[in-house]
Amino acid sequence: MSTIGRALRFSGFTLIEYMRSNRILVEIIVTIAVFYLFMWRSPITADYFFSTSGLFTLALSFYTTSAILGLGDRPEGYLVLVTRLGRSGYLLGLYFAALVVEFAMFGLLSLGVALLNRIADLSMLGWLLGTVPLLLNVALLSALLTLLAPIVLTGGWRLFVLALVAIAFSGSLINGPTLETLWDPVITALSVLRTIFSTPLLPAFTGYSLSVTRDYSGVNSIIPLTQLLLTLGLLALAVYAFARREIILSGS
Amino acid sequence: MNAIETHHVYKSFEGLEVLRGVNLRVPAGTSYGLIGSNGVGKSTLMRLLLGFLRPDQGVVRVLGSSDPQRILGRVGYLPERLRYHLRYTGREYLRYLGQFNGMREPQLSARINDELRFFDLTSAADRRLDTYSKGMLQRLGIAQAMLADPELVLIDEPTSGLDPSGQREMLDLLAGVRQRGHTILLTTHMLHEIEHACDVVGILSGGVIAFETNVAALQQLGQNIAINVPPLPDAFVARLRQISPAVRYVGREITIEPNSLTLQTRVLRFLLDANVPIISLFPLRRPLEDIFMRVISGETVELPAPPELPQATGVSNGMFAPPGHPDATAHQQQAAAPANDDLLQALLQHEKHDEA
Repeated sequence: MSTIGRALRFSGFTLIEYMRSNRILVEIIVTIAVFYLFMWRSPITADYFFSTSGLFTLALSFYTTSAILGLGDRPEGYLVLVTRLGRSGYLLGLYFAALVVEFAMFGLLSLGVALLNRIADLSMLGWLLGTVPLLLNVALLSALLTLLAPIVLTGGWRLFVLALVAIAFSGSLINGPTLETLWDPVITALSVLRTIFSTPLLPAFTGYSLSVTRDYSGVNSIIPLTQLLLTLGLLALAVYAFARREIILSGS
Repeated sequence: MNAIETHHVYKSFEGLEVLRGVNLRVPAGTSYGLIGSNGVGKSTLMRLLLGFLRPDQGVVRVLGSSDPQRILGRVGYLPERLRYHLRYTGREYLRYLGQFNGMREPQLSARINDELRFFDLTSAADRRLDTYSKGMLQRLGIAQAMLADPELVLIDEPTSGLDPSGQREMLDLLAGVRQRGHTILLTTHMLHEIEHACDVVGILSGGVIAFETNVAALQQLGQNIAINVPPLPDAFVARLRQISPAVRYVGREITIEPNSLTLQTRVLRFLLDANVPIISLFPLRRPLEDIFMRVISGETVELPAPPELPQATGVSNGMFAPPGHPDATAHQQQAAAPANDDLLQALLQHEKHDEA
């Protein structure tokens, strides 16, 4: 069986455990609450639906991916399973399981809207066009969280990656008068670094925007492709790092 | 072919050198017991073999490959503390693990049923694991290791943390697994496990395999014993000692060290024929225990030849032994003994009669 095949089977195994442990109730309750608070009472537009559900699924991805990767950081999971699945099968299985939960919750939200508060200006095609970049963003964030999981990267490397992300986001944090007080070479270096490290974030930002507007004209049509490539790149990095890491599990 | 080969393997953690050049060879079909004190690096070696850790130096080859990815599914593993996904039934758990091994139906179901039957879990197969007793979980642990009929089975400290009855049960299971003919590497610090489950024993001490021998050779040595008797006259003691220098009499206690079944039989017969009451007979340290203590204290140990007594070929040479053997010395002492040794002659006549 291929690595992907093993990973998919392991995803099923992880999902069943996740459901039988009732952890899935957290996602279901939060999704219902979000639907009730933001999407039920008054008529909503397609743009509103995708912007709200886009932010919600990203927030949910943080929780679900962390919870499922936490399940993997246990000796009972790793020691017996990885001798059968291999390291890549094991990590990808956890990742796929997280994606299934996240996608399912977006599906639940969409179903609720379709059944209980139908959006007048949203056809099935429009829903698909908005959903693809939205879910690709979820996959992208989950891949980043997988890379940053304690079983994948050591503390030092996690800090390093987070520092890069912080520099990429620093444009909105260090700005205007604050930036002007710094020494010129520092300002220049920060600007260069910000440009370099924020470039990989472009697909995520533009993907979110594409989901809301569903405007695939011109260069926008390649946004999903860049999202997919960045996701695969992050996953490949995570698999590579996990394969090279000496595994001393936090629970062992 | 060797199922496991390590060549000069070194491994340290945060500057602390745990393994210092381990050379280990486990031929296919062998059941190898690796013993060592707690914390000496047995589990580290096991995890190196499984690819969970990487050696700082040296080569680790399992089933002919240095790449753990290439031996996926060919190695069964029972970790020291196997904790389970308790929300599955026993059958579900084995089914998933079999699928991860790449097994397909209908062979998978057949294998699951075989293992459940072998480990006496059939009646509990459809119960969730959180309802299993500790003993049942132990049995399931070995069942999962054996499920894919692996070429090699690695078992790490199988009785660690178990009560005496649990240890007994585990030893019986291991004896059953051994009979199935897989290559087994078992690590433990419980010496009696080795005698139950292994063909070869190696002692890990000081970061290396400091001693290695066949368990059969150890068992041939027999277990040293002490026999409590009433005070014996000096002449009788002298005759007793003529049987073998391994036989000593100190403070109303006869010890046979090193022992063999033949020697033990001879001493007991000698005592019974002379109507010496045997107050008690009890085992001293086992040969493996004795060797282990000497190895971990840094002594270089060579396996002593078992003190087998040769069959009597004549009236006067019943005490002959190979050169260098303690019994050879005994024979020399006997040659200098008075010819009219009635008791000894009677013993030898008795022995000849038995052999006839």
